[in-house]
Amino acid sequence: MSRVYRITLKVKRYDPDTKRRWVQDYELEAGRILRFTDVFRRINNELDPTLAWNSSCEHAQCGSCAVKVNGKPLLACELLVENAIKHFGCTAFTIEPLTIAPVVRDLIVDFDKAYERVNKAKPYIIDPSPRPVGESEYRISPRKLERYVEATRCINCFCCAEACISSHKRFLGPNAVMASIVRLMDPREQAREERLRLLYSEQGVYRCHTSMACSFVCPKEIDVAHFIALAKADRFRSGPEK
Amino acid sequence: MGNTLQIGSTIYCDVLIIGAGGAGLRCAAEIFEKKPGTRIMALTKVSHPQKSHTVTAQGGMAAVDPRDPIDKPIYHMFDTWKGSDCTADQNIIKKIVDASWGQIAWLENHGMHFTRDDKGGLSKRAFGGMTLNFGESPASRAVFEADRTGKGIMDTVWGEAMKGGISFLNQSIATELIFNGHRCVGAIVFREKKGEFVAILSKATVFATGGNGQVFRITTNCRQNTGDGLALILREGLPVMDPEAIQFHPTGIVGPGILASETLRTVGGILRNKDMDRFMERYAPKMKELAPRDLVSRAIETEIREGRGILNPDHNIQHIWIDLRHLPDYVHDEQIPEVTGFFRKFVAIDPKKELCPVRPSNHYQMAGIPTNEFGEVQKDPQQIIPGLFAVGECACASFHGFNRLGSNSILELITMGKFVGERVVDYLEEDLGELPSEAGEKTFSQFSRFMEAKGKDSVGQIREAMQGIMTEKASIFRVEDGLIETIEALKELKDRADRASLSSRSWAMNQEVVHRWELDNLLAVSMVMTQGALERKESRGAHFREDFPERKDEFNYHTLASMSEFGQVSLGKRAIDMSLFEAKGEHYEKFGMIERKY
Repeated sequence: MSRVYRITLKVKRYDPDTKRRWVQDYELEAGRILRFTDVFRRINNELDPTLAWNSSCEHAQCGSCAVKVNGKPLLACELLVENAIKHFGCTAFTIEPLTIAPVVRDLIVDFDKAYERVNKAKPYIIDPSPRPVGESEYRISPRKLERYVEATRCINCFCCAEACISSHKRFLGPNAVMASIVRLMDPREQAREERLRLLYSEQGVYRCHTSMACSFVCPKEIDVAHFIALAKADRFRSGPEK
Repeated sequence: MGNTLQIGSTIYCDVLIIGAGGAGLRCAAEIFEKKPGTRIMALTKVSHPQKSHTVTAQGGMAAVDPRDPIDKPIYHMFDTWKGSDCTADQNIIKKIVDASWGQIAWLENHGMHFTRDDKGGLSKRAFGGMTLNFGESPASRAVFEADRTGKGIMDTVWGEAMKGGISFLNQSIATELIFNGHRCVGAIVFREKKGEFVAILSKATVFATGGNGQVFRITTNCRQNTGDGLALILREGLPVMDPEAIQFHPTGIVGPGILASETLRTVGGILRNKDMDRFMERYAPKMKELAPRDLVSRAIETEIREGRGILNPDHNIQHIWIDLRHLPDYVHDEQIPEVTGFFRKFVAIDPKKELCPVRPSNHYQMAGIPTNEFGEVQKDPQQIIPGLFAVGECACASFHGFNRLGSNSILELITMGKFVGERVVDYLEEDLGELPSEAGEKTFSQFSRFMEAKGKDSVGQIREAMQGIMTEKASIFRVEDGLIETIEALKELKDRADRASLSSRSWAMNQEVVHRWELDNLLAVSMVMTQGALERKESRGAHFREDFPERKDEFNYHTLASMSEFGQVSLGKRAIDMSLFEAKGEHYEKFGMIERKY
């Protein structure tokens, strides 16, 4: 027999036409391994088609569905009903949009604005090293790759940026900073000076207060704080480790 | 609120790319390389290109390294030809396979984080259907980035597109193409956030809209894959190719249908039924779990039909098991962490100790917008539409024929993406005309009907009903009666959809209106798919007819399907390109109409 729970979602809503903000309660029954995205969809299909929320892959690969549940930023597609009840110790959940960008409607925020911080960090190789002569690819030892490969798993869901206690306006944000650090650790990037200037600028790593909230909330379990700590410990000035 | 049903503004650019996933942005990157400073706009219905469905691709890309002592491009071409059940176009196969290693190198040189071997070169692994020496033994041909190769590709091409100066229009959908005479000069676009319509005039327009998995109840595809590009093409009176060619992935995680990558089987996972038998030994004695996907999917469904499946109580779905318990820890922790993580996270089990429940899931659209080898959209086999291109999963060049091999899909994105980009550059000298006066009329009429409908039906419930019948009667096993019933059911669902009213008349970020638009697209795609399946009285690749279980020579062609009015489908043919066979070079006989046994 499957286990079914009666839950209440208290959703913080916003209507851009009237600029009205309010909290709306939705009460429904949900099976134990339904995801919160499944629950939102049930709300649309059975209770309220106007509730607006974001999702795409619904299995924690794209980062579209990040919201705050009882104050904690997470991916709605990863939160199973039964796990939510165990973790939060209740059956009523406050659902809010992230605050890292203006709300468009209900739980949907403006990702264009959110990504501006990431774009500043230039998440690509600015100046690629030339290939070794006679080879089609650059050679990178698995040991060297291991030092930074975890950071490449970032999907820019902005949970870390949400949890970060430093100002969203003054700090580039943990995910943005980490994107730049990846390219400092990647031996193919030659544009080190430009990256270091941004990393140690007014918006850079010295804004980090070492709360480690980023690592705590990351849905991909990346130790974001570790990479920022490397930057604060000045590990990148002398060039990539050989 | 003013009058939304009008063109709010007109934007001019050189290239408009509809869809900003791997194929679309690889195309953009190529254009920037060949002609820096080109004004490219890419629109996407997700909140940002990095959220495209490309990022969910797990396994890898097949490419023969020219330095490989035993692998050869002709083996890759053969595998693709045989895998397609002799329906892919051989000129396309040759073009893509010849370009494959160069494009892998492009990705690596632009920063993709491939998994490395001890010498620091690109690691390789085996994939179902990829063999050495024309089927003799498995080939380690696919390069990969752990089990997130798609994400690696997406991040790389997104980065390069940004570097080139691309503009993104996020959370936007193209609702109508704009024509100047025969030439496509852009599209009408609905910008969801503000709820406004704009006209974008461009010298070249590229479709890169991905798949249509949401036609089915259980799919690995994201919520946004509703076949929009194909529906738009049909609405313009243009044909879609091989609409009935739809792939089911053998191992979707029971419930959500999340892809449990083929990698689970290439690292040694074993499929077992209720009695714990390794049943693949009966269906594909040599390749067993690594037989091509359609074979494995049908094997699993047959086991379930014959009563050897297991019922999952939470989702009320029958399934079989994949057994990973015997695999060493380093395989779990380093080669398949993302995928085993899915079982932990979404089913609450530990794959090192427990059996994992899987069932075939809709996965890939071999079907698509017919193009030539340059990605130019075809009106019919002899004519192209100047200015209009299609690339990636939404296109049908055709690289995969009636069945796609694992590690060939994301390869197609980066190779055809490059070729289309190159070709688009040839169109950039033309002048743009003026916006035609009737531009947008079809869109405004469609959207005003959405807003004015007064029935009691729910868009969500109609969508679920459509998914139910398509899964039951038009998916892995198809039969004449079932297909005819499905066609009738779809007509009824279209009537219901036309009467479905919306709860809100607001335009700004109104997801209901977008879901209503998507429903029309899903119904259109489902209709041509079902009619194509009905007409094709044979089995070929992933298209399986219980009443006609063998492949027949009289059907050696691509289906072309157009639909002028809902339900009125006219079917045509496009010949299969046999240029490798006809060239009579070495091994040419392997590229005839061969048997597909593993």
